[in-house]
Amino acid sequence: MQRRIIVFILLFASFSLVYSSIAYYALSKPPAQEFMAWGVFSPSGTLSNYFLGSEANVTSGKSFDWHFAITNRMGSIQYVQIVYRLGNSTSSSPNATASGDSVPQLGNSSIFIPNARTALVNFTWSFTKKPSPGGSVYINMTINGQLVSPSVSAVAGQKFRFFFELWTYDVASNSFQYGYRGQSSWVGVPLQVWFNVV
Amino acid sequence: MRFRLMVLLGVLMLCISPFLISRELAHGQSTQVDNARSALGQAFGLVQEADLQGASIDQISQLADSLNLALRYEENATRLGSDLYANRSLELSNATAVQALGDSNAARTQSVFDQASGYSLAVVAGFGSALSVLEIHRLNDIVRKIRLRRIRLE
Repeated sequence: MQRRIIVFILLFASFSLVYSSIAYYALSKPPAQEFMAWGVFSPSGTLSNYFLGSEANVTSGKSFDWHFAITNRMGSIQYVQIVYRLGNSTSSSPNATASGDSVPQLGNSSIFIPNARTALVNFTWSFTKKPSPGGSVYINMTINGQLVSPSVSAVAGQKFRFFFELWTYDVASNSFQYGYRGQSSWVGVPLQVWFNVV
Repeated sequence: MRFRLMVLLGVLMLCISPFLISRELAHGQSTQVDNARSALGQAFGLVQEADLQGASIDQISQLADSLNLALRYEENATRLGSDLYANRSLELSNATAVQALGDSNAARTQSVFDQASGYSLAVVAGFGSALSVLEIHRLNDIVRKIRLRRIRLE
């Protein structure tokens, strides 16, 4: 009888262990790589043809309706901010670890994006040339209805470029941080679009 | 002489009062917007916590919509310098935070219940399996007896 009890306890422990492992597997969240992906889209909804067939030459007064598509795969809702900057050929570009702080900011747009969703953010812009002496060209811009006067110029209006940066809100520091929180560090994913003013 | 000085001081105060009032208003306005911005950040923290605790996708989508509306109000408040929009943003952020807190608690309770149910079921199944293995011979005996009874009846 005593032997039977011992056998029963051993069997009970073994079966419980196996079934508990199955329960743990069923109740656990599947592991997933956390990331954020985004792009700047032209009016035709593509990642090209931003200037409607006119290469990168843009005429003063013409309006462009672009939009950003931002996908959140971070495993939880994110508070995202897109920062716009205007640079030229000599400006230092933002990269995976550092934002383009040395380049003046034109503005920003913010949005809350639930996990596994893609959000669209409009970016409508136009410009007018600012009269300036010498060969440098300065421009006034209207971005999403807001008038801005960037301090950046380009020689003969060539090689202006937009820098777009993605920032995410960090609850611990109560502030936006450049990029998104990766496994070991913050990951910056900047975008840029070149254009010439004609 | 003293009267003249008082009049001069009065005129001077009248002249600078609009600046003082406008500065006070501007200060109040920026405080309201700052409060709205701060409340938005806190509400986001609670919604994210609810999400991590396992609140449903529908609940999080609804909270995200509220946060986005509060954000639009806050942006309008900043752009127009409007206390009305700042207050709307603040109220909506606070309401969203309260809802997120409720959803977070419910999700946590549900998660504990699911885990308790899952592991309890595992232990009960373990008990049943162990018993089945030990008593399988009795089951065979029962089956044999039933067969014998059928044969006798025939």
